[in-house]
Amino acid sequence: MTEALAAEHQVDAMQVVMIGLGEEKFALDAGLVREIIDPVPVTKVAGARSFVPSVINVRGNVIPLADLRIRFGMPQLEDSADTRIVVIEIELDNEPVLVGVTADKVYEVTEISQTAVQQTPRVGMHWKPEFIRFIAKWREEFVIVPNMERILN
Amino acid sequence: MSAMDPTEVFRQEASELFEVLEGALLDLGQRPDDRELVDSAFRALHTITGSGAMFGFDKVASFTHEFETAFDRVRKGEIRPTQELISVALAAKDYIRALIENPQSTDDIIGEAILDDLKRFVSSDQSAAAVVEVAGAPPLAPVESKQAGWHLHLEFESHILRNGSNPLDLLEDLCKLGPCFVVPITDGVPFLDEMEPEDCYLKWDVKLHAACDKDAIDDVFMFVSDEMKLTLSPLEHVEVPAPAPPLQLLDEDPIAAAEMPAPVVEAVAVPVVEQPVAKAQSQSKTNVEVKAEPKPEPKAEAKRDERGIATVRVQAERLDELMDRVGELVIAQARLSQLAASGSDLSIKMIAEGIERRASSLRDTTMGARMGTVGSRFGRFRRLIHDLSRDLSKPVEFVTSGEDTELDKTMIECLADPLVHLIRNAIDHGIEDTATRAANGKTEQGRIELAAVHSGAQVLVTVKDNGGGLNTARIRAKAEEQGLIAAGAVLTDHEIHQFLFHPGFSTAQTISALSGRGVGMDVVKRTIENMRGTIDLSTRPGQGTTVTLRLPLTLAIIEGLLIRVGEGRYIIPLSAVEECVELTAEDERSRGRNFLNVRGNLVPFLRLREIMSSTGLPDRHQKTIIISTGETRVGLVVDQIIGNHQTVIKSLSKLHSDVTIFSGATILGDGTAALILDVAQLVALAQSKVEKQHISEAA
Repeated sequence: MTEALAAEHQVDAMQVVMIGLGEEKFALDAGLVREIIDPVPVTKVAGARSFVPSVINVRGNVIPLADLRIRFGMPQLEDSADTRIVVIEIELDNEPVLVGVTADKVYEVTEISQTAVQQTPRVGMHWKPEFIRFIAKWREEFVIVPNMERILN
Repeated sequence: MSAMDPTEVFRQEASELFEVLEGALLDLGQRPDDRELVDSAFRALHTITGSGAMFGFDKVASFTHEFETAFDRVRKGEIRPTQELISVALAAKDYIRALIENPQSTDDIIGEAILDDLKRFVSSDQSAAAVVEVAGAPPLAPVESKQAGWHLHLEFESHILRNGSNPLDLLEDLCKLGPCFVVPITDGVPFLDEMEPEDCYLKWDVKLHAACDKDAIDDVFMFVSDEMKLTLSPLEHVEVPAPAPPLQLLDEDPIAAAEMPAPVVEAVAVPVVEQPVAKAQSQSKTNVEVKAEPKPEPKAEAKRDERGIATVRVQAERLDELMDRVGELVIAQARLSQLAASGSDLSIKMIAEGIERRASSLRDTTMGARMGTVGSRFGRFRRLIHDLSRDLSKPVEFVTSGEDTELDKTMIECLADPLVHLIRNAIDHGIEDTATRAANGKTEQGRIELAAVHSGAQVLVTVKDNGGGLNTARIRAKAEEQGLIAAGAVLTDHEIHQFLFHPGFSTAQTISALSGRGVGMDVVKRTIENMRGTIDLSTRPGQGTTVTLRLPLTLAIIEGLLIRVGEGRYIIPLSAVEECVELTAEDERSRGRNFLNVRGNLVPFLRLREIMSSTGLPDRHQKTIIISTGETRVGLVVDQIIGNHQTVIKSLSKLHSDVTIFSGATILGDGTAALILDVAQLVALAQSKVEKQHISEAA
């Protein structure tokens, strides 16, 4: 259903799930999000790349748990009462893959306007530009719409 | 969950029929006199023609029909299936397959060329045909034989046309058996205003002047036998006009056919096919010669071939889904059992046990549904060998055994490529050319055996050739040249052969006609290891090479040994575990020497704590689990052995595809995920350590 909604609004608005990572707000395309769950015990995968350090069990499926904070060079906070895992489905090599993403906080499902899109500034940013789809304005705040496929590849 | 696309159904069905056809053709090359084989090839062809037309694959139907017509002469025993004829027939089969699977890429010219070839073989073979007719009982020598022919009375059910069957086609088929005199009986035709355009009102009386047996006639009506009444009586006296030469008849030469007295009325209203309808209107109730029409009409058999065993075609995804659900059930059941075991409530324990039993039998049944026989894939290798042995002019005898061995269907699919590699290697590099073989006192014909056999929880698939064997010295030289081993290092032959699996070892310049082997061997190894299987290689100089693939029975659920290393819990596949021993204080102390003394044998060991970079203090009494793949044994040092665990295997996602020491994950009773250790990778890791040690010692 979320996909249908997202498609409907695609002309000018985009349905997003607003999450907090460190001090920043990220807007995940709601079409990607499958579910949001409370933190579960994680299993470390020795030798895995640092941004996908572990796997979790989500209703019988073992899925990787990604940590975007590592990709964006943010400190890893201890789990708090607000910590959630956002399960998203992305395409990797033309195959759908479920990935859990740790969020320090999940705010709300909202709409951001595509017309409010800001060009990603070339200077003044220490993140890799390819990780960012675009930066949008939402309630007088800048939010990052990450490019999940790139981040996780 | 929508209904399957009928075209897709046809494709699937056709691909099974192709296997039957190909198998029969190849067997026919070996046993040209086997009637069963000819018949089974013919049946497959016939069904492809029929269903092809039914599903709108007109090109397929018309081509196959021509093929069938040509092959019919083989069936009648007029010509012998020579090797050349079989090669052409195989090419024709490939062409039909291409027409079905990838119509855009095919060209009519190719089809015509193949048909020309076929016809050439079939008709140029008159002398051979004559020999056969003299030698054996000529099936088509009607005049003098005691049995002059048959008198047939045909009555079809009125709805026969709606099922797509066309009585005229059947009559046409009947005419192929020999000269027919066909008289329609029009008694049943009602007045025009009462006539249902889709019903068949005609009956036929046929006098067939051919000494064919009853089965041949039954064959013609095989697919409609339920929907018709067929009365057969032998003809008493001969009243045949001199029959046209059978060869011409069978070529469906319009002129020859026109000479033949085969009048058939086309007064049936056949709305499906426009042409006959037009004729029916203009020439209704007159005798018309229909034979001179080589155009194949859709012969849509409503019935599938009836095999004895009832099978249901199920989509693979549904089976996978079912397996997933069963897997979840097994996990839930494990949790229940754990809970019940820790409590003291007897009735709950009993329920838990009951569920455990049922879950495990459900698991076995579901896994059984995923099993297929290995033999289903062996057929295509016969084709490969047939082609290769022709191209390389090395005569090879191909022997298969254990076709009935069952294996997970997904694995059977995955096995195809490695086996192609191995078989190609065996012919190309293993089997020597005829001159060399003769010089070494071997039979001219090489021999390749493909066998499958159950062995415990594993299936062994072996490819064995009786060629020259591996050239160990040469492999060693290459390995030294590439810097994989130090010159003069002490290695067993077995260890040297392992270099064949080294990626990049088998590059073009390292392979010559002399050295052989290794083409794509690393690919073979990877594929087999992805299935959690192992490869054993054994060779005897001058006598041949045997490659054994050891595969687990299924990809879905395994018995595992649950262990703990630091904070983490891991699964070791139980099939790889040989024994568990305690790490002695002496072994513990010596950090430099990573060897165990197991009853006099030196076994290298790996500390899993180091590999998993575990934190915290190790347990005081470390345990060692001896695992083995092939002939190599390695010890794994762990903190604790927890026990047996029914392991439902979940694959790791693409994001973790770079992590090789785990082959998958599973879910434990408490709901956390645990990783499954990839034994083959760990052994390779241990061996590379040993080799490094060797090299540093040697240096």
